Amino acid sequence: MKRIGLGGITGNPGAFAIVLGLMVLLLAVPLTHNGYVETVFRNILMYAAMAYGWNLIGGYTGYVSFGNVAFFGLGAYCSGVLAAHGVSNLFAYVALAMVVCAVFAVIVGFPVLRLKGHYFGIATLGVALAVADIIANLDVLGGSSGLAMHQLDEAHFSTYYYAMWLVALGSMLGTYFIARSKLGYAFVAIRENEDAAAVLGIAATRYKIIAWAISGMMAGSAGAIFAPANGFIDPSITFAVDSNVFPIVMTILGGSGTVAGPFIGSLLLAGANELLQRFFVKAHTLFFGAMIVLIVLLLPRGLVWLFGLRGGVRAWIKSVQVYRA
Amino acid sequence: MHLLAQDLVNGILAGGILAVVALGFSLVWGIMNIINLAHGAFVMLGAYTTYQLFTSFHVDPFVSLPISFVLLFVLGYLIQRLLMNWIARAPLLTTFLFTFGLSLLVVNIALIVWSGDTRGVTTAYSGANFTLGDVTVPWAKLYTLLAALAITGTMQLWLVRSKTGRAIRATSMDIGAAQLSGVRVTEIYAIVFGLGAGLAGVAGTLISLSYSLHPTMGDLFLIKAFVVCVLGGLGSVQGALIGGLVYGIVEAFATQLDFTIGTQHISGSGLQDAIALIVLLIVLIVRPRGIMGKATA
Repeated sequence: MKRIGLGGITGNPGAFAIVLGLMVLLLAVPLTHNGYVETVFRNILMYAAMAYGWNLIGGYTGYVSFGNVAFFGLGAYCSGVLAAHGVSNLFAYVALAMVVCAVFAVIVGFPVLRLKGHYFGIATLGVALAVADIIANLDVLGGSSGLAMHQLDEAHFSTYYYAMWLVALGSMLGTYFIARSKLGYAFVAIRENEDAAAVLGIAATRYKIIAWAISGMMAGSAGAIFAPANGFIDPSITFAVDSNVFPIVMTILGGSGTVAGPFIGSLLLAGANELLQRFFVKAHTLFFGAMIVLIVLLLPRGLVWLFGLRGGVRAWIKSVQVYRA
Repeated sequence: MHLLAQDLVNGILAGGILAVVALGFSLVWGIMNIINLAHGAFVMLGAYTTYQLFTSFHVDPFVSLPISFVLLFVLGYLIQRLLMNWIARAPLLTTFLFTFGLSLLVVNIALIVWSGDTRGVTTAYSGANFTLGDVTVPWAKLYTLLAALAITGTMQLWLVRSKTGRAIRATSMDIGAAQLSGVRVTEIYAIVFGLGAGLAGVAGTLISLSYSLHPTMGDLFLIKAFVVCVLGGLGSVQGALIGGLVYGIVEAFATQLDFTIGTQHISGSGLQDAIALIVLLIVLIVRPRGIMGKATA
């Protein structure tokens, strides 16, 4: 697939610069002292981190995972277990979540990443549902009734926001530097043609597992911060269908396989969802669906592509017609 | 022992429905390379069509089978012809995203039209059943299974024998060669997508006989269709049938598991999905292209 206008392996540099600028602006959100606004933006950052995770395996490596929510949930439960043992350090939460998710990705990845294309997607969906089911049946983890977590008091509550900001920034910069390294080129080579990559000496299975493990660490870190910020976790919250599908949709909408795409997608989608929810109490999801349908039809390559568009409306019309049967 | 036989029968009865749900999904995926996330929403529309016909005009669900099929066929045909045709050559993920939006749209329209209340279709024969030895079989579910078998059989015959069926199979094998032989791919795609939606509608009608109705009911069936279709092998009618039956039986047996490790009590009814999905993983690792799947070309 040609990626006209998407720039090099990290995507359009202008788009990346804008995204970095927006990230700096987002640091100011807690200054509004508005709990609602802070939660909305914390969720945007959370989705961004998960979208970056998905982008690495789905966007860069070309292995569409429907199971990344498993990592998010595992990360959340790592915090839950640590909190139950009296640990309240957020760095410890994230560290444990990253280790657990990476180990889980490696163990599950060996059989699952042998599968190709759609089959990999379904197997990962199976993994996510199975993990959720198993946790819902473990009494140690609270079963289906969940775990309550001790939260910071109101004066320090913004700590969760800053922590989530760090996780999102880490995922973004991590993606940037990984994409530019040997790893990134190996991932893209696997995406474009796995057999050819193998001929060039890229150990496909090893690189795919690395991609999935890093992807899992990003989603897991987001989960680890989400748990205490939410104050309560149970399988239906941590393994929600939304947390599985949203990051995928956001990445594709923003532009998969780019560094700016996941952030732009999550900012736009989570933001639009929130606004629609405020103005159309009943029909907001309807408009949300219609919006996705329209964007896909009008911008089939993702929003980031707009940054690289040369030639105005005529080039845009041409781009839409390329995919017509 | 009688429990085992009962589970087997329950599994087969449930599996027949799953086979029809997966059939349309599998055709669209196998032939057009589109993962249709709106399939569950189409199933729901079929179920509500039956519900509406039944409550407003007292139409028997089995009579409304062809009505659901035609209505959803037309809907699917138009969606593909008017909208999805624009992104027919786009990468898999683009159409995937489109169907996700479509599904949200359809489910939420249904929520406005029929509200979020749980509804059901209760016919005169809904509660009736007969016993065979120790095994109880509800009539409605038996009819459903027979209808499912008839539908999959007809589909297979049609795909193999009819001219359109041959054109569809040709398109799935090699688009370029099919076009050169005079197959109008745009038309075939619209027919296949319509067929997928129509089969989803039929499945919805069958489901309405034994399950309760809710606008979001499709999600669960979508996930199961995913699994069944991979289990059986993509784009194959027999695959969908066998996959559906295997999934139904595994799920039915899984509910009977009951044991304790240490203080942790494990009961199968909670782990039903997990067990079915672990079976899926094992099947995929042993046969990466499904039970009936062929090796890659």
